[in-house]
Amino acid sequence: MIADVITVATKELREIFTFGDVRGRSKFSLLILVLIFGIVIPLQNGRDWVTSPISIMVWGWMPFLWVSGIVADLFAGERERHTLESLLATRLSDRSILFGKLFAALTYGFSLTWLIMLASLITVNIGFGSEGLLFYPMEMFFGAIVFSILISGLSACIGVLVSLRAGSVRQAQQMMSAGMLVLFLPFMLIQFIPKSWLEAAGNLLDNIQPVQVAVWLAVILLVVELILIAIARRMFQRSKLILD
Amino acid sequence: MNAIQTNQLTRSFGALKAVDRLTLEIPRGTVFGFLGPNGSGKTTTIRLLLGLLDADQGSAQVLGFDTREQPDEVRVRCGALLEHHGLYERLSAAENLDYYGHIWHMSKADREKRIRELLEPLDLYERRDEPIGRWSRGMKQKLAVARTLMHRPELIFLDEPTAGLDPVASSALREDLSTLVAQEGVTIFLTTHNLAEAEKLCDRVGVINHGHLLAVGSPSDLRSKTSAPRLFVTGKDITSQIVEDVKNHPLVQRLQQQNGRLIVDLNDLTRSHEIVALLVRAGVQIDEVRKEKADLEDVFLQLVEEEKGGEE
Repeated sequence: MIADVITVATKELREIFTFGDVRGRSKFSLLILVLIFGIVIPLQNGRDWVTSPISIMVWGWMPFLWVSGIVADLFAGERERHTLESLLATRLSDRSILFGKLFAALTYGFSLTWLIMLASLITVNIGFGSEGLLFYPMEMFFGAIVFSILISGLSACIGVLVSLRAGSVRQAQQMMSAGMLVLFLPFMLIQFIPKSWLEAAGNLLDNIQPVQVAVWLAVILLVVELILIAIARRMFQRSKLILD
Repeated sequence: MNAIQTNQLTRSFGALKAVDRLTLEIPRGTVFGFLGPNGSGKTTTIRLLLGLLDADQGSAQVLGFDTREQPDEVRVRCGALLEHHGLYERLSAAENLDYYGHIWHMSKADREKRIRELLEPLDLYERRDEPIGRWSRGMKQKLAVARTLMHRPELIFLDEPTAGLDPVASSALREDLSTLVAQEGVTIFLTTHNLAEAEKLCDRVGVINHGHLLAVGSPSDLRSKTSAPRLFVTGKDITSQIVEDVKNHPLVQRLQQQNGRLIVDLNDLTRSHEIVALLVRAGVQIDEVRKEKADLEDVFLQLVEEEKGGEE
């Protein structure tokens, strides 16, 4: 089964990186992403882009953005382009197809994030590393590695569920955009929370170890993802997809 | 052993019976044509045989495997070109075939050899590295046929392979299909509503309408069983009285007059000289007389008409 998952994932990644494709994730647009997030923004922020613990938020948020851009296409796109039925008529098991597509989205999300992390590190060292080699604080580095995988996974799982239900790629993209709005709503609403409440929350957080919070968050994300995968497995049935 | 055997296979969608008590036997090595108008149940039958849909009643064995209990075993041994070609248009021809080779766990050397083996007779090998998005529909359809054969299946399903192609592309694809079939020696289950195509490619045909199997046999069997032999007479001075006399002759089943030509369906083609003699005696100046059995299209139309009549 692992070989089949890799086969499906490799094809998906090959399509994502195909030059001049219609998903807007061509090599050219990939280069622009690396240019903006790996060179321009690090140059604007200086050493803080690498050394500040706050930047872990960026590394956690980035994969969601990357994955949501491609994931809507996974099943809705195959259905729209009439390639899904041919794939379902092959020897591939339901699980291989599902996990292959999930794995492709996940790999795309975290590998692009890691690439941008590396580009940022090189940029900041070239621009601001006169006093010696700059590197991410170790907790932050490992946090970014782990969360980029987990957030990519979460985005991939949500995207697969949306893509399985949506009638078209456009509908899937609209649903993903709406989902992203809901996810980021708390961050947008933070300005309306009374200052005293925020201070109280800050005091509470001061008493908690950041590593402990990260571990709990990681466990919660993992559980949520496992639940979403279980739901996707129930939804992914050949006979249902054929009739859709 | 039969490649396909179904017994009372039935599948409904709500009130509509897409396939109704289909019982069919297709021997290995046969090119079987499944004929029927749009919406007659051809595609649903393929989906049932590939285990993509479950039957409501009845059973089907494909290559000895039960399609309900062992659908994976069926799909391992079969290839399918379904309603749409299902090719990845952003990938090249070679990448499309390579992907399907990977799916069937073929080695790299075998995949490369097979791509050459399949694309060369189709004149596509030199263009194997082009993305296929801008290819013509005929070229894509050829590539889809090659993809179906990539893993050397024992049985392939082709769902209207020439649908939507212009006559030149259809004819070219039929030629290529014949070549590949002879080369590969596979069993083929082909659905079509192009009767000339069925006549040219198929050893046996089945006619389906509204989910019912109306007839099965070789094209010549069906022609002889279901349709009367025909006499075409072209000539001058064919009056309405002469037409009436011919129509009333005991040998004549049916008579049509088209563009000054008489088309006479006879009970017995060996006695056609009696009709010719009658026409000569009546003063008709005959230019041409041609004896012909009805083609598959006539058979098909007759069967569909009979079914319609039966329902009414």
